[in-house]
Amino acid sequence: MDSGVLQERADSIIIKRSGDHGCRQMDCEKASVAGSVSQRACVYCGARVVLNPITDAYHIIHGPIGCASYTWDIRGSLTSDSDLFRQSYSTDLREKDIIFGGAEKLKRAIDEIAITKQAKLIFVYATCIVGVIGDDIEAVCREAEEKHGIRVIPVKAPGFSGTKSQGYKLACDAIMNLIGNSPYKDIKKQGVNILGDFNLAGEIWLIKKYLKKIGIPVVSTITGDSSYASLMKAPSAALNVVQCAGSSVYLAKQMEETFGIPYFRVSFFGVEDTSQSIMHVAEAIGSEATIQQARVFTESEREKSLLFLKRYLPHFEGKKAAIYVGGGFKAISLIRQFREMGIDTVVVGTQTGKKEDYEVIENLVKPNTVILDDTNPAELEMFMRKMHADILVGGVKERPLAYKLGIAFCDHNHERKHALGGYEGVVNFTREVNLSLNSPVWNCLAGR
Amino acid sequence: MGMNVTELNVNPCKCCTPLGAVTALYGIKKCMSILHGSQGCSTYIRRHMATHYNEPIDIASSSMTEQGTVFGGEQNLIKGLENLIQQYHPEVIGVATTCLAETIGEDISGIIDHFYQSHEMCRNVKIIPISSPSYAGTQFEGFFRALYGIVTHVEMDTAPNGKINIITGPITPADTRWLKILLDAMKIQYILLPDVSENLDGGHGIQYDRLPQGGTSVDDIAHMGGARYTIELGTFVGEEWSPAVYLQQQFGIPYSRLDVPCGLQAVDSLLNKLRELGGTIPTSIQKERERFLDAMIDSHKYSALGRAAIFGEPDFVKGVVNLCCENGIIPTAVITGSVCKGFEEQLRPLAEKAAGVQFVENIQIKSDMDFAGLEECMVKTHANIMIGNSDGRRVSRKLTVPLIRFGFPIHDIVGGQRLRMLGYEGSLVLLDRIVNTLLLQRNKSFRQDMYDAYYLPLVQNEPAVESAAAGKGMKVAVSYAEKDIKKRTQEHPCFTCGSGKQKYARMHLPVAPKCNIQCNYCLRNYDCPNESRPGVTTEILTPEECLNKFKQVKKMMPNLTVVGIAGPGDALANFEEVSKAVMLIRQEDPTITFCLSTNGLMLPVYAQRLIDLGVTHVTLTINAVDPKIGAQIYDHVTYMGVTYTGESAAGILLGNQLSGLTYLAEHHIVCKVNIVMLKGINEHHIETVVKKVKELGAQITNIMQLIPVKGSAFEQLPLVSNFEIMEMRKTCGVYLEQMMHCRQCRADAIGTLDNDVSILYRKEVLAAQQKASEAGEVQKHKNTCLKKRLAVATKNGMWIDQHFGQAKEFYIYESDGTEIRFVERRNVNKYCYGKENCGEKTDRMTRIIDTIHDCDAVLSLRIGNAPLTELQSKGIMAIATYDDIEHAVKKAAAGL
Repeated sequence: MDSGVLQERADSIIIKRSGDHGCRQMDCEKASVAGSVSQRACVYCGARVVLNPITDAYHIIHGPIGCASYTWDIRGSLTSDSDLFRQSYSTDLREKDIIFGGAEKLKRAIDEIAITKQAKLIFVYATCIVGVIGDDIEAVCREAEEKHGIRVIPVKAPGFSGTKSQGYKLACDAIMNLIGNSPYKDIKKQGVNILGDFNLAGEIWLIKKYLKKIGIPVVSTITGDSSYASLMKAPSAALNVVQCAGSSVYLAKQMEETFGIPYFRVSFFGVEDTSQSIMHVAEAIGSEATIQQARVFTESEREKSLLFLKRYLPHFEGKKAAIYVGGGFKAISLIRQFREMGIDTVVVGTQTGKKEDYEVIENLVKPNTVILDDTNPAELEMFMRKMHADILVGGVKERPLAYKLGIAFCDHNHERKHALGGYEGVVNFTREVNLSLNSPVWNCLAGR
Repeated sequence: MGMNVTELNVNPCKCCTPLGAVTALYGIKKCMSILHGSQGCSTYIRRHMATHYNEPIDIASSSMTEQGTVFGGEQNLIKGLENLIQQYHPEVIGVATTCLAETIGEDISGIIDHFYQSHEMCRNVKIIPISSPSYAGTQFEGFFRALYGIVTHVEMDTAPNGKINIITGPITPADTRWLKILLDAMKIQYILLPDVSENLDGGHGIQYDRLPQGGTSVDDIAHMGGARYTIELGTFVGEEWSPAVYLQQQFGIPYSRLDVPCGLQAVDSLLNKLRELGGTIPTSIQKERERFLDAMIDSHKYSALGRAAIFGEPDFVKGVVNLCCENGIIPTAVITGSVCKGFEEQLRPLAEKAAGVQFVENIQIKSDMDFAGLEECMVKTHANIMIGNSDGRRVSRKLTVPLIRFGFPIHDIVGGQRLRMLGYEGSLVLLDRIVNTLLLQRNKSFRQDMYDAYYLPLVQNEPAVESAAAGKGMKVAVSYAEKDIKKRTQEHPCFTCGSGKQKYARMHLPVAPKCNIQCNYCLRNYDCPNESRPGVTTEILTPEECLNKFKQVKKMMPNLTVVGIAGPGDALANFEEVSKAVMLIRQEDPTITFCLSTNGLMLPVYAQRLIDLGVTHVTLTINAVDPKIGAQIYDHVTYMGVTYTGESAAGILLGNQLSGLTYLAEHHIVCKVNIVMLKGINEHHIETVVKKVKELGAQITNIMQLIPVKGSAFEQLPLVSNFEIMEMRKTCGVYLEQMMHCRQCRADAIGTLDNDVSILYRKEVLAAQQKASEAGEVQKHKNTCLKKRLAVATKNGMWIDQHFGQAKEFYIYESDGTEIRFVERRNVNKYCYGKENCGEKTDRMTRIIDTIHDCDAVLSLRIGNAPLTELQSKGIMAIATYDDIEHAVKKAAAGL
């Protein structure tokens, strides 16, 4: 097979040259090239990712069935209480609704669950064709709110109206719509909110545990393991910390403007990032004793983690990694984490990275590393082969490709069933990388 | 739609039309597909298929944008075709539409024509338009729409070739391989459409080819017009989308539409048809048939245990129904997500015939149904086995009915692409799976079932032996010898009226803050050290803190015999914390007695786990054994995520309390029942409660006064006098031992019943002691003053990732070179002083510099010469780096 790189994509591929320090501009933050087989999803996907972990809300997908089918309970967001968010609700529009409009069907659906299920909070997601067939979902939601005295929040997320990032923004707007007038906004500020963590495999519980250890109360988690009631308390926090920036910095900014809650960003991937994040929180709102406690805690965890890692280092010697993930932040975290493990990253790409992200990446990686924006299977295949990657970190769509090429794989997307965040995540990640890289099955391949 | 919610699809039992279209296209040689619509459609479908088949699934998208939606997506689609050809060099491309393309009225054939006109060199690529909007059906219809598109768009060579067309619906790659082997063995010349056997279940060869190399070639398809006969395996797709019907109408090729060959008779029909068409049945297949028949007979009595729920694509469902019915497995709940004409009409007679043998009357068969609907059908018909795709796992778990996975999607286990159900052998594989599941299910439960059905009624009618823990006759594994439990009871201050109550101390661990019911007399608050009643605590402890506190208390209080968990909420509403605390303390002190109190709502779930944990004493609060009375006492009950009120709340609670109590008592756990005496509500009912709980095995009851709590619903309820309480206890003492010495303790009480010393063991008090010893150290730390203040241009807060001139925010740190302290995050826009400095672009630099005016240095990814000079003049050092913050700041501070 020949190179297969499309002309329009040439500027979205950078090969790091020795001596370069992020001086080249990545062509990124654009719509995908048609026919390139992008790995990206859509606006609706972005909105759904952020809002869906709100555990006790009814999430109604207004549109034909596909969008509901493919997003039904596929993510590992855990709940400590209601299970409602794991159900799929869709108006399942049919041919006749496309002709006559679907607004009436939506109205009846909302009425039904408002009355028979005593719903308190409903999100209504409009998918691709809802706008095209002229359903005014904002009006439907407004009327339903008045009629039933509950919150019914529209999320207008047709897939074609931008990228996944646009969907994140819509979700943040919906959350502000929900909490903007919360009575808690006038309450004395204390404690922190955790933004941009979706409690995959219980990761938000880990973060809460760390903060509890050092005596910092968590007010609200947005949106992992959250509920209507817990979200309404968010405006009473003294600080917002943002884990997944791509999805939630926009919300943090709005909360800063509206409620005067300052924010900063944190990362709980890898030993160093986790420790630094805990220290930041302690230093920002903790007492002297808290800071001291945090120092002792992070030091002891760091030591434990490094001790654990040390045993594995010989297994990782000379191994090379490829990374293809959603956002720039996660890619950079992973490069750093691999560095802690003695593994060089030789191919790295993201679906929605920004120019600055790529600049940092270019600075971090060694010469000849391939850097990709919104790449596709053909390019991934070519560069992973060329660079002799031993393991790919990505989402489930990329997994079969890696295996076909005889490359190990680590699942770092929302479907995984084990925590990769926090100190526990370091242990899990190290184990997973080791067991895939060094599995005996690779010895059975010809030529090994 | 389900019957429960009529206006919404609740948990879909279907995927969308384009997914089916793409699946069919994977059965064509060197074919790629492109979806005309939003980027998300292709990504979602790829993800869904990749997890099922474990194969790389590459589907292109025309990546429609806002503009394309308003002005038409021709440009997008043409660009997409061009790029797809360049990357994959396909010989065939299927262009499948999505909802969006269909709704805005795209003319796909027209666009393809335009593409050929402007791309002469691409004329050798066969581009096939397929109409597949999601609102027009499910993946089942999408699959046939694609096949229909293919046979109608390939120019046919009508010269007779003597071959037989074999057309299949969505069957697995493994079954497809079987079909090909069968046709070869019968010496049939055939054209199979589609052939997913290789492309959706590929091997690991030397070379990976991103373009699917297996499948039916366009050349072969072109000869379908000259075939002598068509067999279509599937009967439910509408004639308007049936390739067999089209080939007959267009080229006069006779056809048969047969059920998918699952089950003896359906396989026979296919084989007979093939024999009629000149095929020969080899002995090996004859032997397979004999083996299958033999196995059917061997299993028939086990098969008869089955009441099957069958769900999925219509033809698949019919295949399984056929197999079940001829084996005596009764299909009681049969659904498909498709709107399917004739579904019920065809299947009901088959199912009813099978049901009639065992006089089963209720059969539910429905098309256009979701999983909420399936669940209702299963409950109504008592289905005991499910056959269908992975999405049924939630219903399976909820109703505890085992699920045999088959169909699409299967993404929670591996091997969906290799499942077999066709042919004699495939049918037998599926039959064995069903029968074995039924057998294991029965083997697992028959001892208990018989015990409950025959033995329990025997002993329940006998007069109860004096003590439940010693009595009941039944021997179950217990974690503690009965004698040991008796001794423990004597040493438990709350379970004994003897001297134990003064001699022995207990501590309550407030580890359980949440509650799952609301009693009208209760108001839990955690911050009143001077109030003493249940539900009150000054603090909540983590399991680890519980262990610490236990160690402290044990040190000072050698007569501590019991650790109890009494809220402040309900112990079982916080089971994880509770079990962890118990385990930690058990490790520390294996002799301690564990006791907990609960409202009993979650007992059916956790009773066995409590026993496993070594809890020997349980206090249950049961205020009524009549839901009508209970409804006045409980405001609401939250059970399994649903909140109930009124009599249904009280009923659920009561049912669980009674079955929980029975279970615990049967397993020799000492159970005390607390009853709050509520004037005008349950005072005349208490005797009944005592009798009932005695019957179920409670050893002692504790009738208590209501403590009226301000703010609770029963705030105004009249008080019960001491006299009245004693009278009531006396009355009930006739039936069962009464606790006379209850102190109605706090959730964090410590000490003997008469001397609560919990105040000495509060976290802050303990912490203060520890602090005193550390005080010296803290002082030392304060002396190392952090001198330098540094600003960092960062967006992500972890490493330096911003140009100085583009920074919209700075993270401020203090450091002395060895330690680093985060101060705050500053927003540049907030630091504009006065109007004259604001808004103008040229003043941006001023604003940035104002933001960090108090810093000694600033770190950024890069910085221009002008701001560098400007900063220098203000005495601020500028450092360019891409390091992580901690490292860079320390290094910079050390150098300042």
